[in-house]
Amino acid sequence: MLEIKDLHATVGDKEILKGINLTIKAGEIHAVMGPNGAGKSTLSYVLAGREGYEVTSGDVLYKGENLLDLSPDERACRGIFLAFQYPVEIPGVASATFLKTAYNAQRKFRGESEVDAMEFLKLVREKTKELDIKDDMLKRAVNVGFSGGEKKRNEVLQMSLLEPDLMLLDETDSGLDIDALKIAADGVNRLRSPERAGLIITHYQRLLDYIVPDFVHVLADGKIVKSGDKSLALELEEKGYAALSAA
Amino acid sequence: MKNLTPLAQTYLDRFDAARRSLPGHASPAVTALRESGLARFKALDFPGRKVEEWRFTNLSPLTKGIEAMEAPATSLPVAEFKTPHVMTFINGRFSHANSALGELPKGLTLTSFASELDAGNSTLLESDAEDSRAVVALNTAFMEDGFVLTAAENTTLDTSILIRFVSLDGTADNARHMRNIIRLGKNATVTLLEEHAGADGHAYFANPVTDIALEEGARLNHYKFQAESNTAFHLATTDCEVPAGAHYENFSLSTGARLSRNEITTRITGDKALSSLNGAYLIRGHQHCDTTTITRHLVPENESKQVYKGILDDDAQGVFQGKIQIVPDAQKVSGDQLSRALLLSDRASVAVKPELEIHADDVKCSHGASSGELDEDALFYLQSRGIDGKTARKMLIDAFLADVLDEITDEAVRSFFAAITARWMEEV
Repeated sequence: MLEIKDLHATVGDKEILKGINLTIKAGEIHAVMGPNGAGKSTLSYVLAGREGYEVTSGDVLYKGENLLDLSPDERACRGIFLAFQYPVEIPGVASATFLKTAYNAQRKFRGESEVDAMEFLKLVREKTKELDIKDDMLKRAVNVGFSGGEKKRNEVLQMSLLEPDLMLLDETDSGLDIDALKIAADGVNRLRSPERAGLIITHYQRLLDYIVPDFVHVLADGKIVKSGDKSLALELEEKGYAALSAA
Repeated sequence: MKNLTPLAQTYLDRFDAARRSLPGHASPAVTALRESGLARFKALDFPGRKVEEWRFTNLSPLTKGIEAMEAPATSLPVAEFKTPHVMTFINGRFSHANSALGELPKGLTLTSFASELDAGNSTLLESDAEDSRAVVALNTAFMEDGFVLTAAENTTLDTSILIRFVSLDGTADNARHMRNIIRLGKNATVTLLEEHAGADGHAYFANPVTDIALEEGARLNHYKFQAESNTAFHLATTDCEVPAGAHYENFSLSTGARLSRNEITTRITGDKALSSLNGAYLIRGHQHCDTTTITRHLVPENESKQVYKGILDDDAQGVFQGKIQIVPDAQKVSGDQLSRALLLSDRASVAVKPELEIHADDVKCSHGASSGELDEDALFYLQSRGIDGKTARKMLIDAFLADVLDEITDEAVRSFFAAITARWMEEV
């Protein structure tokens, strides 16, 4: 699904990613853990195509295609979804309008007919029920006045609705209490399938109790310094990142 | 004596010949009025940038003289806004053939200002002799037509009146000094939409002056769509008196003209009166658009509100000057003002000057001004969900404008303006 080869990227003049190698196959969930400033969020932004994150060398293949040539919306339409660490507030744009526009844009890209407002509402109501999100959120402007937890839940709602092939979760657990964390994890687990894959970026092991990864990688100073199975996450929790860097 | 600007000089030179054919030339009262206007204009000239109120709007492209451009004359475009009541002015003169005034209710009259002048009816312009604004003085000297709307006490018109000022060529005198008068009696309610339009490539100078007086409890919804030619100049001056219980709502949507100024002065003279001035300007290329408001609270217990939003692309320049005056003893007054600009290009700019002159202590006033670019984070967020860049930009621009359009009470006008802004955004 995703092949990252010797990826180097800069933000401004600063090199943040210093040669990342990572292969994610369909059906797999990978977790990337690491201390603050290791480049975790940069990796997610580079994969989603954010402006200002410049790839200086290396390749990223997504479903065999060169991902780096694609605009953010093209990547999304091809099945990449980034759940933001800090979801953006957009005053004046109603959540329902935003979700419908995005949903129909992706359908259109796949050559499917667009759904009308009624049909869409029905669909989105099913999802909000599953994720225990209040319907009135749909009438409010995107993320405006949402609590931290509501914002994260809104990310998971969008993901459930858009049903991506590759889920990128950037610190989705930060700011969530345990109940919200379970709901968010549940949203991800529902999407898990042999055709889909996921990359979960997190600072803490906690989320991985609920979304159990197939592989765990440790990112430090722009490189993956260690890879293993889920037990690596537990080891990190116990010993801390410092012990690992010293090793 | 200092030299006048070239354009001012041409007005002085041609006044003698012109006044013999201008409406009301047989009336000594009208003639005296024109002469007083000319004398004041001669003393004032067009304001230069040393005049504080015109600091941000440089009129020299106008005052050095407008060159007529080689653009073919166009025919009258069909009105997009649908209403049974239409009054049309073509090249500054009332066109009976293109107007529909037959269905106005009893108590409401709509006539051409030229016919009022020809009838020697100069009483409509009592206050004019002391006006010290140059463009108004010039208008007084050369005023040629316009609309006169009067509504008797308790008259209510449910559908909007559309007044069209259309320029079909940019030749000959290439100036339109329109003079409009609105008088609403007690508790009368009227909705009016002015359209000022001209085909791109025609150069002309539109100088409309509108004088409005409401009586107690009257309500005027006064809307304006300024879509002049992209080589035209448009300097509009509107004055409105708002007495007790009256409500003046103004919304101006400006997309046209090379250089435009919309200056509105409201005098609030009664309690429970409301002056609500709002607008949106959408400009690109080298357009310059100036919005200047003066809101004067002259007695206690009334309210004023203002929301203006601008979207500027390319090298466009915007100006917002908003003055709120509250005289001593005008207690329990509330005045709010907000001006926001969205810059779509790093060459676009906006100058903002809010001015609060408050001489009473028990008042509630606020003003806010901001200008900024499209939020890149929001843009990326929308795109990361599959929405293409162009649509995402449009969604954000739409969101920026939405709340100001909501200030328009009249639904038909609101959706008409929304359609125009949507069309403008197609080209962003």
